[in-house]
Amino acid sequence: MPEHEPKDMITVRDVSKRYGRTLALDGVSLEVGHGERYALLGPNGAGKTTLIHIVCTIHPADSGTVTVAGWDVHRQPRRARQALGVVFQEPSLDTRLTVGENLEFHGRVFGVPRQLRRRRIAELLELVELAEWRDKLVATLSKGMQRRLEIARALVHDAQVLVLDEPTVGLDAQTRARMWDYIAEVQRRHELTVLVTTHYIEEVDDCDRVCIIDHGRVLAIDTPEALKASHGRTLVRVKARDEVAAGRLLAAYPDGTSANGTIVVPVDTTASVTEILRTFGNELEAITVESPTLESVFLSLTGRAIRDPAAEAEATGRRGARGRR
Amino acid sequence: MAAGSRGEAPVEAPEPLPVAATPVRRGDRPPVAVWLGGLGAIWLREIKRALRDRGQFIGGVSRPLLWVIILGVGLNPYFRGEIYGEVRFVVPYTYLQFIFPAVIALNIMYTSVQSAVSVIWDREFGFLREVLVSPLPRWLVLLGKVLGGTTVAMIHGALVLALARFANVPITPTKLVQGFGVMFLLAFSLTCVGVVIANRLRSFEGFGVFSNAVILPLYFTSASVFPLNPALTRAQTRVVYPEWLVTIVEWNPITYAVDSLRGIFIGFNQFDPRIGPVVLAVAAVVFFALALRDFRRA
Repeated sequence: MPEHEPKDMITVRDVSKRYGRTLALDGVSLEVGHGERYALLGPNGAGKTTLIHIVCTIHPADSGTVTVAGWDVHRQPRRARQALGVVFQEPSLDTRLTVGENLEFHGRVFGVPRQLRRRRIAELLELVELAEWRDKLVATLSKGMQRRLEIARALVHDAQVLVLDEPTVGLDAQTRARMWDYIAEVQRRHELTVLVTTHYIEEVDDCDRVCIIDHGRVLAIDTPEALKASHGRTLVRVKARDEVAAGRLLAAYPDGTSANGTIVVPVDTTASVTEILRTFGNELEAITVESPTLESVFLSLTGRAIRDPAAEAEATGRRGARGRR
Repeated sequence: MAAGSRGEAPVEAPEPLPVAATPVRRGDRPPVAVWLGGLGAIWLREIKRALRDRGQFIGGVSRPLLWVIILGVGLNPYFRGEIYGEVRFVVPYTYLQFIFPAVIALNIMYTSVQSAVSVIWDREFGFLREVLVSPLPRWLVLLGKVLGGTTVAMIHGALVLALARFANVPITPTKLVQGFGVMFLLAFSLTCVGVVIANRLRSFEGFGVFSNAVILPLYFTSASVFPLNPALTRAQTRVVYPEWLVTIVEWNPITYAVDSLRGIFIGFNQFDPRIGPVVLAVAAVVFFALALRDFRRA
């Protein structure tokens, strides 16, 4: 391998991809710097997974170029793959093999020499707290443990770029938080660049940069703080006393959205909060004021909430069904 | 172990971590060594999975018992009819001896075609992606899978050899070596056929039905359970047997595999003994090419 130290570990230039009549990606460009933790944030169907598949050399782009660790994924896919560690959205372990055998398989397929392979596997199992499970069949592991195993597996071959597609989907809140701890830890130890997709907005606050994507287009790229500062708005959550009050409130604030009896009104200044209180004070049951969050950033960029409950239920259901044997 | 805050550790961190981080090493092995290692890993995985599949093993044991002990023993007295004290058929073997090599082929046929189920399995349960993002070329992945299926099928074929004494077929080391050669070519070709089928089917159930629909007709028309009378000339054969049957038997590649195995194990050939290995070798190459074409598209 030649001396190969690219500035950006992942570059995506003007990538488009069409599936039938749907334009899944529409001229997407982004760069992920060395050692960065980079989040792709968008609702289900935004094109995140399509982009991940192109970066991982699984599907070709219709147009545009992608490089990973300086290797063009189309022209030198095998080089790019050697630099990539991938955790797919769908489980991709062999459940009929043991934990250790899955890691061993990966190490051999990626050409990790035996000695190094043994040490690395022991180390990674320790890291994701699965050392005692080494000889158990993967089928006997919980979903959270299987995800951890997949993260460990992606690192057996000294990947430089770790790509995780929705690593926390289908996990309970506690396991999700723990998963991010593992990601942070492996990133620190292995000097990794991490590209992660999620539609859980609260998870990207710790990322270095966030790319908000919807309908196959990049809407904004920046640090979470900068995004909040430029696009974020204070959100006022109001519970109206009755239907009539709710109707009047929505009429007065047309950019408010209503869900499950709670009305969310984006406002720009605290003066607006006072105004709501003065006008509707008697007709409200509860009122909460939220300082700018990424959720409000998303709301103001796309005009809708990121999590569509129906779509999410469907996505988790699908994953669950496939995860079972 | 708590996650430390990111970016605080310098590159050569001397302080002891809970687990020592092994230094990072990237791409310093010759590609051939990497490829052989990867091929071995894929091969080994197929074997492990097959050996852990009890159902497949039970089938591999019960099938020869059924065919040799029930069918073989049952039909044995009818194989050499005598009319007025004259032996009617010229095949100088018992039916047990005659069918024994064919049962080896049958066991290989079932196991190798079935081993391709793992292609569907990998696709349905996501493992295919793990292989697709590996730096191994596709043809090597397929070769590993096919060799794995071939090995398992040969093991199942060898199970039949345990019945050799019962069927009164003496086994010598030379016969074993030659036999394994033919068994390998047969198993390899059929595993490729299985992959071709598996790439066209979406469900496991469909595969079961379809594989039966392929295996049994191929088996029955391979001169496995009945001989085309070798005492007759080609022209006479076509008079005694319906022409379509003779044509199918002659065109069926399995016929030559069975014939080769018979030649090796009981010394009886209906065709030129040189034809068998050639047909099988050609089949192995052709079907691997077809399987690879499909596998590349998958």
